[in-house]
Amino acid sequence: MAVWAVIILAVLVLAAVPVAAVLGVLTFLLDQMANDGRFMPAIGEFVWDKSREFILVAVPMFILLGEIMLRTGIATRMYAAVVQWLSWLPGGLMHANIGTSTIFAATSGSSVATAATVGTVSYPEIEKRSYNESLFLGSLAAGGTLGILIPPSINLIIYGLITDTSVPELYLAGIFPGLILALLFMAVIIVACLIRPKWGGTKVETTWSERLRTLPDLVPPLLLFTVVVGSIYAGFATPTEAASVGVIFACVLAAWTRTLTFTMLKEAFEGTMRTTAMVMLIIMAAVFLNFILGFMGVTAEILKAIADMGLTPLETMLIIIGFYLILGMFMETLSMMLTTVPIVFPIVAHLGYDPVWFGIMITVLMETALITPPIGVNLYVVHGIRTGGKFNDVAVGAAPFVIAMIGMVALLLIFPGLALWLPSLVY
Amino acid sequence: MQQLHAFLGRLSQYAVWVGGAALLGAAILVTLEIVLRGVFNVSMGGADEISGYIFAASTTWAYSFCLLHRANVRIDAFYNFLPRPMRAALDVIGTVLLLAYMGILTESASGVFLESWANNSVSITTLQTPLWIPQLLWLAGLVLFIITLIVVALYSLMTFLRGDFDGVQRLTGVRSVEEEVSDETHGMGTKAPAGGA
Repeated sequence: MAVWAVIILAVLVLAAVPVAAVLGVLTFLLDQMANDGRFMPAIGEFVWDKSREFILVAVPMFILLGEIMLRTGIATRMYAAVVQWLSWLPGGLMHANIGTSTIFAATSGSSVATAATVGTVSYPEIEKRSYNESLFLGSLAAGGTLGILIPPSINLIIYGLITDTSVPELYLAGIFPGLILALLFMAVIIVACLIRPKWGGTKVETTWSERLRTLPDLVPPLLLFTVVVGSIYAGFATPTEAASVGVIFACVLAAWTRTLTFTMLKEAFEGTMRTTAMVMLIIMAAVFLNFILGFMGVTAEILKAIADMGLTPLETMLIIIGFYLILGMFMETLSMMLTTVPIVFPIVAHLGYDPVWFGIMITVLMETALITPPIGVNLYVVHGIRTGGKFNDVAVGAAPFVIAMIGMVALLLIFPGLALWLPSLVY
Repeated sequence: MQQLHAFLGRLSQYAVWVGGAALLGAAILVTLEIVLRGVFNVSMGGADEISGYIFAASTTWAYSFCLLHRANVRIDAFYNFLPRPMRAALDVIGTVLLLAYMGILTESASGVFLESWANNSVSITTLQTPLWIPQLLWLAGLVLFIITLIVVALYSLMTFLRGDFDGVQRLTGVRSVEEEVSDETHGMGTKAPAGGA
């Protein structure tokens, strides 16, 4: 039966059938073959029960929160403030790119939004201060990826939903790896600029009085982070409640920066609903397929096949990591997660890996996928900000940061505690 | 056909605005609930239930918008290497298969609604919501999606048979990464990159 499932899946995927229909048609055919079509008529009841679950409401809320924050224009001021604090390092403003991305990631759950926002603000500086354009663009693309690792993160919610893992624990687990990865990115920039000092551009003049004066501009994003993530950890609010409060906070912030208009809200609604519909259409099909597969014992079949290969858990994990690194070059991250995690997760859990740890591992792999060509969405985002030039410049500039990400994967493998220590304090 | 397609475009845009506004309403409701619970130690109750209904319905209301903006996820690794006419054929087939799957789901969903309606089912919570109300709103989005799918499938099939493969691409083709990026960042002053991927 597993063989049939794989063949049908392969044909439909290669034919570029919409992923939701791939999963739906596969479910229908498997149900016909194995159960005489007994389960398919129950799909309505199943989807209705799933689609009003309160925890799922967190998905559109976090997307809406990000869409509104994007349009409040606070990123410009944030960037100016971070420049004051970080640009003394070799590599100057490129550190501000990473720093601003890190802070913005703490208010946004999307890597694309983070890269686009920070990129738009900082791009004009390349020419003004004669930076090496390639590395500068790479720092933007790589910094942006932190959006899905540092909470709130849309990817982590979706991982939590598919695998039944606690979203608050995942959020807690993402903080340290996110900060470490940001430091690794900065180390890459320092090393590159020590080898080639010309890449680092001209210096920005900073003073302590200016540093202190810009400090308040960092308050809104940090406050939002505290409200949203803090209330989840304190056990005061569920992720959905925290996200709802975050949406209201973002609206207040928008009102304060005078960007809260009907046009702005309509745009934010369109963006939110388009992404939500896209994701939910697939999640519903995936969850129902999982239910059928579990009933048919397909998952058990796959697990047995892997056990028969006689690999150690570490070898299996390395194969999985390699699989994602390669697949990530060609696939967009959300569809990659939605289609592979339901199959890969039971294997990983069976091998004894911690579900929370694997959630962080897979997110770092997704970040790598965002900046590896030919299909690396963040590369396109950053390229889209430019007024010209070759796409290759961005891809080449991002390459050193891929090394930092692979370093992060290795760190997670050797020291699982990097992800698991913080959740273990609370749970 | 073109007019019908354009009409559905406007209708689905309104549906998305209403859905988004309802979601914002849910956020306000949930926040109120938390403030009341935290500060006054009283609970209105039911904010989670209502926001669940809003979420279920607003999501289905956005499906048509998603389809008309070709935002449904398709894996184009192989597709991109095919000649244009074959891609156009796959666009039509993909739409028809999505219609088939959604047809099964919607038929089953209408059964859920009709049963609640016939039995006067209420939710087993303090609100005792008559379930047919949220289920009807949820079903309405699915029906709108089915209608949109039928129109898009027929329209793209007609365009295909005329040999206008570019037209099919504009109706149901996989969006290029450039389109993807400009959509995710609209209102941000970013432009689509000028070719050369």
